[in-house]
Amino acid sequence: MITDKLNYSPLVKAESNNALDQFKGTLYPSKKEEEWRYSPLKKLKKIPFINNSSFVVKNLSLLDLPKLEGNILVLENGRFNPNLSSIDNIQGLNISFISNSKENYPYSTNLKTEDYFSLLNSSFLSEGIVIRVDGNAKIEETVNILNIVSSNNCLVNTKIDVFLNENSSLHLKQHFIGNTTSKNGFINHLNNISIKENASLVLDKFQDLNLNFNISNDCINQDRSSKVISNTFSTSGLFTRNNVTNNVNGEHCHSELNGVFSPSENEYIDNHTVINHFVANCKSFENFKGIVKGNGVGVFNGKVIVHENAQKIEAFQNNKNILLDKESIIYSKPELEIYADDVKCSHGSTTGQFDDEAIFYLRARGISLKKSKELMILGFINEVIKKCNNVDYQDFIIERLLNN
Amino acid sequence: MKEVLIEIKDLECEIGDQKILKGLNLKVNKGEIHAIMGPNGSGKSTLSSLLAGNDNYKITNGSISFEGEDITDLSPEERSWKGVFLAFQYPIEIPGVSNINFLRTALNEKNKFFGKDPIPAKDFLKMVSEKSALVGLDNKLKNRSVNEGFSGGEKKRNEIFQMAMLNPKLSILDETDSGLDIDALKIVAGGVNKLKSNENATIVITHYQRLLDYIVPDFVHVLHDGKIVKTGDKNLALELEKKGYDWLKINSLN
Repeated sequence: MITDKLNYSPLVKAESNNALDQFKGTLYPSKKEEEWRYSPLKKLKKIPFINNSSFVVKNLSLLDLPKLEGNILVLENGRFNPNLSSIDNIQGLNISFISNSKENYPYSTNLKTEDYFSLLNSSFLSEGIVIRVDGNAKIEETVNILNIVSSNNCLVNTKIDVFLNENSSLHLKQHFIGNTTSKNGFINHLNNISIKENASLVLDKFQDLNLNFNISNDCINQDRSSKVISNTFSTSGLFTRNNVTNNVNGEHCHSELNGVFSPSENEYIDNHTVINHFVANCKSFENFKGIVKGNGVGVFNGKVIVHENAQKIEAFQNNKNILLDKESIIYSKPELEIYADDVKCSHGSTTGQFDDEAIFYLRARGISLKKSKELMILGFINEVIKKCNNVDYQDFIIERLLNN
Repeated sequence: MKEVLIEIKDLECEIGDQKILKGLNLKVNKGEIHAIMGPNGSGKSTLSSLLAGNDNYKITNGSISFEGEDITDLSPEERSWKGVFLAFQYPIEIPGVSNINFLRTALNEKNKFFGKDPIPAKDFLKMVSEKSALVGLDNKLKNRSVNEGFSGGEKKRNEIFQMAMLNPKLSILDETDSGLDIDALKIVAGGVNKLKSNENATIVITHYQRLLDYIVPDFVHVLHDGKIVKTGDKNLALELEKKGYDWLKINSLN
């Protein structure tokens, strides 16, 4: 069992007790379940995880990270590391830690209660950060949250609660990092995001886990006229899985889920997304690109559900993949369920290899084979990379995607 | 004495089990324009693709020497650096890669090969506006993805624009006239003529005599069944236009 060697020391007792009871009654997922059929669950199950909240990283410059600007909050092995963090006081932005909270913090759960990893997270929570943005506050400064696992076999259960009040905006950058010197660490993370009327969130996620595991369960709830743009860049990881549930609860919302994932040798990167259009007059856009190398495995499973009476929905979903080698594997499953009759929806998926003709064309212009392939990949991911408005960040992501 | 730029000797090649070139000989000197004509399936496009280094074809005999060096085993990029340029019959669309980025990468890769520094942005942009004016390439197209959504004529202009940027020693124009209306044909041919010098040479591959009114060849060769069966001056092209190719097939048998 994953939890055999863990000490149980709950951060938030009331919820943890409740969750633990449920967790004890929940079975480890199996490949027989549709949701998990491509995941190397056995690889994860056989690791004897431990609690280890030691600090290993002496300086952030030792990690391969994009340039960080704005607030920097670092969680290392599940514990807040103040030495690596820098927090400015910003008007309208309130950041607190669940471990410090004196009150019985009434955060909403929104758990998919049947989900093993969400329950594991709540039962053995290491740390949680609560970010609140006041109504009408437009936060210019980026908030960076680094979630680093730097000890072998370390299980990290972290959680971020984000509350954007009416008319507010925030740019959040999350970085999930598996230190190159550690292996078999596991960041089991929950994002619980609530976006109130007319508020907007940009969430850039960078996942570079190396020889470690990462499951991230994101639940995004949107109220009327709100906007979310989520860009997920997953460059490496033994087992990286993103489960995103985007509930669109108010009309005139804009929802965007984008991503590029590049599993290479022995790696597995999986994006499972669900967009629930519960109400009318909303737009959603989804665009994921996979680049699979060696015997790497990539998964895209995107589901858009247009519920009854959610008329005038425009929902577009797209997944494209390139397989760089003969052994490379992609599982792509675009799903569209529509229960309303006046909607505009599309979904599509393509998987292919490099176009030899195009490579020859580039080489005939004096571009080396290696550089030609890079240009082709660059062209392939360009439309998703452009979603980030910071050029330094774009360049960093491109560099990491090309060199994994 | 004219300097030989490229010399092809007894070239034979195949794709799969099919023999395409069956002992082709051709010598092109600096300063010359050669036209290669021939019916469908005679091996014209194979020849141009092969000269640019396409390894879909297997060379079973013969050699290609460029400025005295055997280039038969060189990669497409190495041939490009040494000065071989192929204007494609069907230019490839490359979504997401801007024309400008593509050309800058190409120039810098060439510079790297010659141990030179990357071209400064200012010089590069100046060169782009000079060379694109040569073929009247719309400014907007330079920033668009390579050939994506270009009309047939724009694609061909883009080929000649790239040729102007890379300044090759040998330009091979593979059916550059196909898909062009008469105005576009004049512009493209005008560009080619302006780039012509005593230091470079051009091989024009075409079905029709029309292009040769604008790019006047020193020699016209007829390719048939993988071999050059007849060579003449520009009047040969006119004769072919009148009589067709069948006349030659009979002739070559005699």
